[in-house]
Amino acid sequence: MKKAAILFILAGAVLAAAPAAAQTDPEILEIIDEVDRMMQGASSAGSMRMEIDTEHWSRSLEMQVWSLGTEYSLIRVESPAREAGTATLKVENEVWNYLPRADRTIKIPPSMMLGSWMGSHVTNDDLVKESRLIEDYDIVISHDGDRDGEDVWEFTMTPRPEAPVIWGRIEQRIRKRDRMPLWAHYYDEDGTLARTMTFSDIRTMGGRTIPTRIMIEPADGEERTVITYVAIEFDVGLDEDFFSLRNLRAHQ
Amino acid sequence: MIRFPTLGWLALRNLGRELRRSALTAAAMTVGLALLILSRTLADGAHEDWIDSGVRLASGHVSFNAPGYRDSESLDDRLDAGQLEASLGAAALAPLTEPSITTVRVATRGLASSADGALPALIVGVDPASELAFSRLGAEPATGRYLQEGDRLHAFIGAGMATRLGLRTGSRMVLTAQVASGDIAGQLVRVVGTYRTGLDDLDEALVHIPLSVARSWLGVEGATSVSMVLPHSAFTDPVLAEARATLEGAGIEVAGWPETARELYSAVRIDDAGDWVFHLILFAIVTLAILNAVFMSVLHRKRELGLLRSLGLSGAETGLVVFVEGVLLTIASGLLGVALGFALVWAFFRNGLDLTDIMPADITFGGIVFNPVMYPSIELTHLVQSVALTTVIGLSASLYPAWHAARLDPAESVKVE
Amino acid sequence: MAWRNLWRNRRRTFLTASALSFGFVAAVLMMGFMNGMMEEMVSNGTEVVTGQIQIHAEAYRPERSIHDTMGGREGLDVGALVAAAEAQNGVAGVAPRLYGGGLVSSGDETVGAVLMGVDPEREPRVSRFASVFVEGGMPGPGEVAVGAALADKIGIAVGDEAVLVAPAADGSTGNDLFGVSGIYRLDLGGFDDSYALLELGTLQDFLAMDRGRIHEVAISVDRVRDADPVAERVAVAVAGLSPDLATEPWSVFLGQLYFVVSLASAMNSVVAFMIFGMAIFGVANTMLLATFERRREFAVARALGTSGVALGRIVVYEGLLLGVVALAAGAALAFPLLAHIRANPIDLSAFVGTYSFMGSAIRPQLTVEYSFQEPLVSAVALLGTGIVSALLPAWRAARLPPADVLADR
Repeated sequence: MKKAAILFILAGAVLAAAPAAAQTDPEILEIIDEVDRMMQGASSAGSMRMEIDTEHWSRSLEMQVWSLGTEYSLIRVESPAREAGTATLKVENEVWNYLPRADRTIKIPPSMMLGSWMGSHVTNDDLVKESRLIEDYDIVISHDGDRDGEDVWEFTMTPRPEAPVIWGRIEQRIRKRDRMPLWAHYYDEDGTLARTMTFSDIRTMGGRTIPTRIMIEPADGEERTVITYVAIEFDVGLDEDFFSLRNLRAHQ
Repeated sequence: MIRFPTLGWLALRNLGRELRRSALTAAAMTVGLALLILSRTLADGAHEDWIDSGVRLASGHVSFNAPGYRDSESLDDRLDAGQLEASLGAAALAPLTEPSITTVRVATRGLASSADGALPALIVGVDPASELAFSRLGAEPATGRYLQEGDRLHAFIGAGMATRLGLRTGSRMVLTAQVASGDIAGQLVRVVGTYRTGLDDLDEALVHIPLSVARSWLGVEGATSVSMVLPHSAFTDPVLAEARATLEGAGIEVAGWPETARELYSAVRIDDAGDWVFHLILFAIVTLAILNAVFMSVLHRKRELGLLRSLGLSGAETGLVVFVEGVLLTIASGLLGVALGFALVWAFFRNGLDLTDIMPADITFGGIVFNPVMYPSIELTHLVQSVALTTVIGLSASLYPAWHAARLDPAESVKVE
Repeated sequence: MAWRNLWRNRRRTFLTASALSFGFVAAVLMMGFMNGMMEEMVSNGTEVVTGQIQIHAEAYRPERSIHDTMGGREGLDVGALVAAAEAQNGVAGVAPRLYGGGLVSSGDETVGAVLMGVDPEREPRVSRFASVFVEGGMPGPGEVAVGAALADKIGIAVGDEAVLVAPAADGSTGNDLFGVSGIYRLDLGGFDDSYALLELGTLQDFLAMDRGRIHEVAISVDRVRDADPVAERVAVAVAGLSPDLATEPWSVFLGQLYFVVSLASAMNSVVAFMIFGMAIFGVANTMLLATFERRREFAVARALGTSGVALGRIVVYEGLLLGVVALAAGAALAFPLLAHIRANPIDLSAFVGTYSFMGSAIRPQLTVEYSFQEPLVSAVALLGTGIVSALLPAWRAARLPPADVLADR
């Protein structure tokens, strides 16, 4: 299972706050809380590019994205032409797709939630997975200080004994000065790297500093998915009603 | 009219005098009966074996469910705690002379995922001790061990699933399913062992976890099914009838294996038809061998029988002597045949008949579902049928020579051919 | 002289001969039924969908990735491949196929399904899809046919439109509306609830694949038992079209069926062994008795100066003559019987119904399959047994002093 997600969900998701974090150092909780506040609760509208390289094909998609917190998002493909208009709506735990050629909306059945989203290394499940990192993992600072000329924290997250998570360990590097995540490495229990997520091109966009490029690489191949933000605006005044099936199929 | 003991003595003396011929005639009956017993016993054994291994992987010989569960396979159609108690009570009351195995399951469909991927799964919460005896999935683990009393976050999975998800003993795995409340929930488990049935559908999908874990994860108090494996499939109907009577009005559906394992039932029925044809042929050829032997011996007894006539026996008496001969021969060879049949069966019972020796060498498929060792099973009705058939043939075959002897012209018969 | 001897004792001759001919009929019939059941199992397991031979790209199985088409990304000349396979002796039908995984949706209901691209003209010669339509028929261009259980699940009928969504070979997401051309019921669980059939070219377009790209060629053969040699011929014939082709008979790609058939066959051969044993025993027994009863006759012959060797020769000649006549009679009875059963299989559906087992839909009937080799072997075995069991007592009789035998000592 690829636990990647698109940027606006992910940046928050990586360190989303949750209650009852008994085992984790309060200092870490504070850091996480800061990162979290940066991403959560905000509504946003933007456009992004997704480049996917697989063993068999490579492609690039341009899309428009709207979101409200981590619960609501709407993504509409602009190009290539063959898929223009294809849209995905995520509301809480459910995902719908709008198919322009058929002019129909379909709800992704539970059995298909682990299928790939738009052919990328992101699954439908990644889109809905509520991050419960603090509930599920004990987090310690495994490194505090200089790495590659940056003052950073490195967190090591190990699953709580009974947490329903597949990873054996997640490592994450966060830049101290702006609380920016730099990368996350996902390991299985044997310590084998299973997936890497890299955040880069940290810039100010729409008034906030965010990583504008996320690369998701499964460890077992030459494949990758790169998501790049072209533009984004925050606090654009969207509410829940915007994320409706009607809007899903509305043409621009 | 001579007295019966004299007649019997004459018959016995005749048989003894022509020991070789008697032996050959008797051999036809003995060998025929023994083969009939052996082959039917083996065929019945094979069927019982199919049924037994089939129902163990399915819902047992008899299963208790909430109405609608067998179609929906949904947690919504489950037995509540009270119905579970009632079902277990009915199962315990089953009219059986030998112990049966009763197991309680909470089953649901969901996803099994690891760092390597995800697969659709049939997740079954089981009581380790009774389930081990019931399904025997854990009797010979491919790796690791089966679930035990006191296990908590453990799972026993198929070798196919282990390969597809890159799991070993001790690996973590997350099960995800819709729980009773309607939410989707995950459950962490660790692999304790794997099984290999040889059926890809099962080996990639069926997961056993402890019943207590399944209950707390899925938010279920009762169970989705209570299943029984009986000592023999023949007990199915009486147990079914008794359980239905006991549970009248309790809102519990009691079903037998012909309903819950339809394919298996049809397979057994169709193979029965094949066996019926084979045994018809075997019956026919045994009949012919006996008739042949008896007729052959009567043809060459003219001299001997003529001698009896010249000693003063009437035609009817001579015929009676010959018939008694036949009866004695039939009884003796019947007894011998049963003895030989059982001896052969016993030999097979002890060792089983390993069919792998006569199967093509390039077979790589294996597992615990299809047992390539044949063990006989004695069905009383079939045994009685075989014995009755040979007896009837033996006796009726003796009538002809008797009639022949009775009609013999004494003067003609003493002539040398 | 042998003939005269046999004729002189017609009743004995008749009894002995009947043992032989009936033993032969029983043995041949039994083997016929046994082979018939085995072939029936294989036919049932292969005629519904898979065919008896399949060609794939070597890399296709077991993952069945959409990208592993024959001839790689460029594909190959499908027409030439089909023609090459069709030209082989023993091949009955050849059907090219393409597979994809996707969603089939109608109204609010969506289910995952395997999309199977078929050639509607060729498919009926290999699989049963075309003949099991409950309603409508095979899909034409732009149409889809689905299994009855799937149709039920999402609530569609012939004439409705279904939405199909599938990841295409170029990474895009194919989605379109297709008219439902028909609903079939194979009575094979998986195929009825999670398969959708499309015309091959339509699915190729949908999955963004060229006309030369297919995953599978399924081949049916004239006689199931010839699958292996036919597969070898096909493999040779298609080898030149692409270097990556793997041609396999059913025993390879349906390993489970092969195992079950072999197991059932082994069980049957145990029963067969008994029937044959009983036939042999019957012949030996009758022959021993018959010859035993002729000791006097032999003794007289010896007393009259016939040598032991000459006597043995007479017994053998008699046995041979008797055997040939008896076996000819047996064959005259057995073969028409076999041919009759083969033409009119014994229908068992009255008491089992149609069902599927081990993934194959079973047509419950008993039929026979026969060759001429097995009857020949049985005939020789029975004849040999007869002569040996005639010679043994004859030889003993010839060795004893004639006076003893005549005195019945």
